[in-house]
Amino acid sequence: MSELAVRLTGVSKSFGTHAAVSDLDLEIPRGSITGLLGPNGSGKTTTIRMMMAILLPDQGQIELLGGFPDFDRRSRVGYLPEERGVYEKMKVLDQLAFLGEIRGIDRRVAKSRAMRWLERLGLADWADKKVQTLSKGMQQKVQFVGTVLHEPELLILDEPFSGLDPINQEVLEAIVLEERRRGATILFSTHLMEQAERICERVCLIASSRKVLDGDLREIKRRERSGVVAVEFEGDDRWLSSLDVAEIEEVGQAHHLTLGPRTDSARLLATAAAAGVGVRRFEVLEPTLREIFVSHAGAPADERPVLLASGGAQ
Amino acid sequence: MRQLWAALRREYIERVRTKGFILSTIAIPVLMVGFIALSAFMGMRAERFDRQWVLVDRTGRIGAEVAEAIGAAGYAADLLDGEATLEDLDARILDDDLEAYIVLDEATLRDGAFSYRSDDSPGSTRTAVLEGIVVREVLRQRIAGLESPGEVRALLDRGGHLDFERITDDPSGADEISEAEEISGIVTGLAGVFILYISMLIYGAFVLRSVLDEKRNRVVEVVISAVTPGRLMLGKILGVGSMGLTQLGIWAASAALLGLLGVPMLAAALAQEGALGEFAHLLPGAGTLLLLLAYFLLGFFLYAALFAAVGAMCSSEEEAQQAQFPVMMLLIVPFVMQMYSLQGGGFDWMEWAALFPFFTPILMFPRAAAGSVEWWMVAISLVLMALAVVATAWVAGRIYRVGIIMQGKRPTLREVVRWIRQA
Repeated sequence: MSELAVRLTGVSKSFGTHAAVSDLDLEIPRGSITGLLGPNGSGKTTTIRMMMAILLPDQGQIELLGGFPDFDRRSRVGYLPEERGVYEKMKVLDQLAFLGEIRGIDRRVAKSRAMRWLERLGLADWADKKVQTLSKGMQQKVQFVGTVLHEPELLILDEPFSGLDPINQEVLEAIVLEERRRGATILFSTHLMEQAERICERVCLIASSRKVLDGDLREIKRRERSGVVAVEFEGDDRWLSSLDVAEIEEVGQAHHLTLGPRTDSARLLATAAAAGVGVRRFEVLEPTLREIFVSHAGAPADERPVLLASGGAQ
Repeated sequence: MRQLWAALRREYIERVRTKGFILSTIAIPVLMVGFIALSAFMGMRAERFDRQWVLVDRTGRIGAEVAEAIGAAGYAADLLDGEATLEDLDARILDDDLEAYIVLDEATLRDGAFSYRSDDSPGSTRTAVLEGIVVREVLRQRIAGLESPGEVRALLDRGGHLDFERITDDPSGADEISEAEEISGIVTGLAGVFILYISMLIYGAFVLRSVLDEKRNRVVEVVISAVTPGRLMLGKILGVGSMGLTQLGIWAASAALLGLLGVPMLAAALAQEGALGEFAHLLPGAGTLLLLLAYFLLGFFLYAALFAAVGAMCSSEEEAQQAQFPVMMLLIVPFVMQMYSLQGGGFDWMEWAALFPFFTPILMFPRAAAGSVEWWMVAISLVLMALAVVATAWVAGRIYRVGIIMQGKRPTLREVVRWIRQA
């Protein structure tokens, strides 16, 4: 069995003259939880639709669960499309039973599993109601249950959290993490960097149809470390004079020190100790995902006005 | 197979459960019963007891008794006086001076048969009344004659028999049975055309709506990750088709029930004339009904596939409204042609146009029901339709497969042709 849940090699897709995805390579190891990040229109949904063989790539190869995304493999995937697809006139439980049934689960088993999920998500009372009588957030949860009902090996979720209130976002996040503990591989797209930062192990950043970078999130952060250390200390800053500090910025109580090439954080801490400086806080600052993204791809087009207004990334 | 079944079942259950289905299924038979009850009521009001009959008694034994019994039943019949001939009586009937005359002869005494001659059918109630009277009087006569009990019992078992002879001024004496059959054929053909036209139009539109809904809310993306588009389309068409058959079946069953129980009850309850007696003659035969079923099934598959393809090409209700127009024209054109030909218009080549599979149900069925086309034409039309279903399903399946995942503007004709080639 392949170690990779998904592998894309040199995948490109255009619509007319517009390139939606260009020469994308992507590997998603089994058991990982990966965020596909990028602003609106960067090609996330097209990439996902190609993985599900809804679209065929113009060039390149796509492997899903070790081979061509045929019906057998696709039915082992839990796919949540970007736009919420539900049969509005069907009853909640019937709809879930149908979704289980087409993935090869016995109708009764599907119903009892669906009922457990509905109870857990506080929707048990709605099982016999038509889907269209539910609020949007509730419909989204019902659809999510439909995605995980057949205990798929791989979950492909296109913007699963958008449109949910913070409490429901947390509930869904918890379930996603739980599905991963069950052994499922998880890939989800989002344009919310902070959320990806919170739950992903791996990320793939794409901007205007091209991959910007991908890999293990911690490694990326280590690699992208800017060499800024935040220090809060007693007394004046004369002890810093012997060190190669390119820039000092006072941010509230703290000094953000941008270290030069001849100094590292260990040397900084040792110097402070030798000088008898009382250090209250010492933190090697890691860049946020957003900062990494901006440094590689520039500010996402749809977020630029926000960036200007707030004076920088948070 | 399991997926196909799941798709079929979903389509069927969800449609059969709707209020619209339940209401329309109940409403139509109720209207039907209401209509028949109304016409029976009108018939009763129209039943006339004051018309004059003449009784011709050639036996010379039971005439007076029968005439008296007829009078007791509320009708009136005078015994024929010596001079008048049957020709005189026929003339009086054609002059509307006399409604009918009844001839009793040796056959009447032997097995209860007598003839009722009129320019209008006696209707079932009057027939039953007259047969009862005649048999009773014959039995009285023969028991009095001390004939053997076996013969009497046989007569009792057989009952009487009213032999209706229509009096017309048409010298050729048009064969009245074939006339009834002809009327039956026309009525059946017309009813069949309406049923075929409306059911193909409405059930086809259901298929279109179902495809469009699935595409619009993107459920289809989830579903086709597990079900092949071909199976999904087939499941949908079979599901809607089963619903249609269920509905037509319920209607047919209630009509049959009405025919078996309702009509005789109504006829007995309301002394009813003419219309109800002829009702039975108007019922189509089993062969005609089978042909109707065959045309419905083939026609439904043909149009459902087209409607599914149209639904897959569109992204919104408005688009679909426009895009389904050509398909609806395929149904409307033969319907208009058929109505035109019923009014006496029509062209020699319409029989041949009826071989065009998309026109066949509406143009060929009424001709077949009325017996005005050769049987081999009907056979050819069925074969051509079956071939057309296969070809249409192939093309529509390819359009469907590509169309259901396309979003945005409606494809041009050239793009659709490319889908068919590439899919």
